[in-house]
Amino acid sequence: MLRLVVQRLLAVAPLLFIVSVIAFSFTSLLPSDPVDLILGDTGTEEQHEMLRERMGLNEPIHVRYFEWLGRAVQGDLGTSYFNSVSVAGAVMQRLPVTLSLTAASAFIAIVVGFAAGVAAALRPRSLVDRLATLGATFGQAVPNFWFGLLLAAVFAVWLRWFPATGFTPLTTSPWEWLRSITLPAIALGLSSSAAIARQVRSAMVGVLQQDYIRAARAQGLSRRRVIFKHALKNGLVPVVAVLSFQITVLLGGALIVEQVFVINGLGTLAIAAVRQQDIPMIQGLVLVMVGLVVAVQLVTDILYGYLNPKARPS
Amino acid sequence: MSGQSQKAGGPLSGRARARRLSFYAITLPATSFLALLVVVALGADWIAPYDALKQNLLHALQGPSAAHWLGTDDLGRDVLSRLIVGCRIALIAAAEATSVAILLGVPLGLWIGYRGGWWDWAVMRVVEAIMSIPGIMVAIVIIAILGPGLHRAMIALGILFSTSFLRLARGVVLSEREETYVKSARVIGAPDRRILLRHIFPNIAPPLIVQLTLTVGAVLLAEAGLSFIGLGVQPPNASWGTMLNTAASFMELNWFLAIPPGVAIVLTVLSVNLLGDVLRDSIGRGIAVGVSPAAPSARFDAEASSAPSAPLPARGDEVLRVEGLQVVVSPSGGPEAPVLTELTFSIARGETLGLVGESGSGKTITGLAILDLIGAAGRSTHGSIVLDGTDLRSLSEPQMQAVRGNNVAMVFQDPTTSLNPAFTVGDQIAEVLQAKLRLSRKAAWARAVELIDRVGIPRPAERAKAYVHELSGGMAQRIAIARALSCNPKLLIADEPTTALDVTVQQEILDLFRDLQGEFGMAILFVTHDLAVAAHICDRIAVMYAGEIVEVAPVDDLFAKPLHPYAAGLLAASPHGASRNPPLPTIAGTVPRPGAWPAGCRFSDRCAYRRESCGRRVPLTGGSRLVRCLRADELDLGSAS
Repeated sequence: MLRLVVQRLLAVAPLLFIVSVIAFSFTSLLPSDPVDLILGDTGTEEQHEMLRERMGLNEPIHVRYFEWLGRAVQGDLGTSYFNSVSVAGAVMQRLPVTLSLTAASAFIAIVVGFAAGVAAALRPRSLVDRLATLGATFGQAVPNFWFGLLLAAVFAVWLRWFPATGFTPLTTSPWEWLRSITLPAIALGLSSSAAIARQVRSAMVGVLQQDYIRAARAQGLSRRRVIFKHALKNGLVPVVAVLSFQITVLLGGALIVEQVFVINGLGTLAIAAVRQQDIPMIQGLVLVMVGLVVAVQLVTDILYGYLNPKARPS
Repeated sequence: MSGQSQKAGGPLSGRARARRLSFYAITLPATSFLALLVVVALGADWIAPYDALKQNLLHALQGPSAAHWLGTDDLGRDVLSRLIVGCRIALIAAAEATSVAILLGVPLGLWIGYRGGWWDWAVMRVVEAIMSIPGIMVAIVIIAILGPGLHRAMIALGILFSTSFLRLARGVVLSEREETYVKSARVIGAPDRRILLRHIFPNIAPPLIVQLTLTVGAVLLAEAGLSFIGLGVQPPNASWGTMLNTAASFMELNWFLAIPPGVAIVLTVLSVNLLGDVLRDSIGRGIAVGVSPAAPSARFDAEASSAPSAPLPARGDEVLRVEGLQVVVSPSGGPEAPVLTELTFSIARGETLGLVGESGSGKTITGLAILDLIGAAGRSTHGSIVLDGTDLRSLSEPQMQAVRGNNVAMVFQDPTTSLNPAFTVGDQIAEVLQAKLRLSRKAAWARAVELIDRVGIPRPAERAKAYVHELSGGMAQRIAIARALSCNPKLLIADEPTTALDVTVQQEILDLFRDLQGEFGMAILFVTHDLAVAAHICDRIAVMYAGEIVEVAPVDDLFAKPLHPYAAGLLAASPHGASRNPPLPTIAGTVPRPGAWPAGCRFSDRCAYRRESCGRRVPLTGGSRLVRCLRADELDLGSAS
């Protein structure tokens, strides 16, 4: 298993490098001049030139890239053009917020998706199957932020069970955290649970037709054991690949759902950064997000190796 | 279900009809809705009752009324008019982003796929990098470069979604360029571009269309999302996303504002996705209309009961006694058709009965019927399966579960698929011991290793930790046999256990069966199509044809003098039974499908000795040898050897 981890880490390194190049060069394509952004219309021509020199903007782009990368590796993602805060600090402050939303919605998506998918697969064409398929079709057509609005209208504004806006950190109060995260997580998790349910259903229907399922039943093992042990472990294999993709989708969706519930996470930061053409902030956000996605992929790869012995390096 | 469909009759079965019905039930509303959208979008200026941008602060945030069917927003603008204008925006957005995605992705994908090498490598790494960033973040970064606004945001989404078209086009090229026709086109010197266009493009079209529908749905959602967070369509222009943005701010004052744009988005995306699903299904299957086998079985039942076979003479040492068993199946939802009828045989303690016949004669389903594992498509309707004095057909599912493994076990044809790929082989044996014999984890593992040793696998403790893909076919079959025998069953059903194996290994496995039978004393029902294999291992042979037994005889008697023309035909067609020089004779024709059996003797269509009287049902008759042929006494089918 250690070999698998090392192998995957080595495979991931070039990806991170390419992403950093893309993040740096693309955001350097921004139309605005950072010096103008910082000084505005004030300042003399000399002051502009001095700042440009001090920020190293007169250097060639590859020199600037390696300087930026060198600092980024040490955890220094630069300083916001807009309010002079450290990018790493600002990102790290918001990261737990977006992470808890993503994790909570992933949890919901996985639980609901698996339950619906397995239930549908056990009795193809039954009422349960039709309802699950119908629900999945609808779930994938509903925009997460609109679903969030509806949930907020019913459960926060009308019934007052949950707060309509805001976020309480887990460390402040686990109960209030749960209350503040529930509606956003459900809103965000819906379409992913639909996608997972579809995948689980088709994977399980395929697995349940396999010889080894019938053979296990012929051996007198109970239907429940055969389904939840023998079939599920094999059925999970194709689902794991989807899972990693879905968590990436959830991370992106969190940026939008945050806006519905006025949650101060990476989404709010990203939207402000784009509006303000805050280059270091955008670069830092992209890098951190890719780092998260890569970490998720690593976990799912290891999971994949556990579930599918053939995928293990020997 | 089946009863209804039988009554309905006609060329379409009930389920096929339901499927076609649901095909139209999906495509018709979805297509009409999308057509309506296009009409509304084109005629927005004429249809909209008000100017979508005209403010009227005196009538702000009103609910639905006769003047404003869907109410007004925070600036007193008519919601219905804005919804109608938003419809046009949504279609423009979808068209723009999808076109950009296709125009960018497909040519680039075709090119790198065909070109290969360094370019392919570099582009694919960039694509992977982009795909590892959440899509909405990619769009946000591109918008940061291009600036916000509908058209720029759609270019951003187009670039984002071009990656999936690129990968699709590249994938098709990579697989097609290895096809013979492309290679031969290259050999005769057709220029590259022509090969690409003439041969590869038609193959891309179907997956492209499916990807297109997926993209349109995703673009609609993404556009709404971007406009919602203020990076897409800019106020005061109306789009469904910006309308929801407004609604979010005034949720407490007028929640209804969120309903019209949200419902519009959901219905549009739903229609596109549903059409995509239908397209994908029909492209995947090549639009098939299910025509079921014409097989009303009512006539059959009447005749089956008109000519009952003589009851099997009782024997003292029977383990299994199957009598008058009938099994029906309804493949893919068609009407039920019998696959086994009047099946009667018995097996004595320690005896091996061979069940021999061509594919489709019902051998395998016999084994599964004994275990009650035919599956949802079939069921047994008549007869008894008595195992050691208990009729298995009368048992409940939990009781049956106790019988499986403990009293009856089964070895399947292909060990590489009948063992679970995700668990070690030792685990799979130990699991049975734990579940059935209530052994402890440790004891079960120790016993599993013993069993693996017993079936002749060297270094059993090590092999127990192997996965099935790490074992050879012969070794895997030994494991499957060890698992089947783990609870010392009275009856072992072996379904073509040597067919999937190398010829050299077959012999070893057959010897193993004989050895183990000596030690464990179980009776074996040995299903095979290979008479040579049957001759090697069986004591008696039952020959099956079209769902019934046509002859039962001790193995030597059968080989010396078959009584049924089909048994004689099988023997003659077997390489061991015929002289080497003349080519092997074959039996003309094939086994008729269930439901298409001749009314009388089911072999009569292929039989050289057919008489007028063979049009009637023929019972299985005889004493120590049983045969289902009217002319058994008069025919001399001779020795096969």
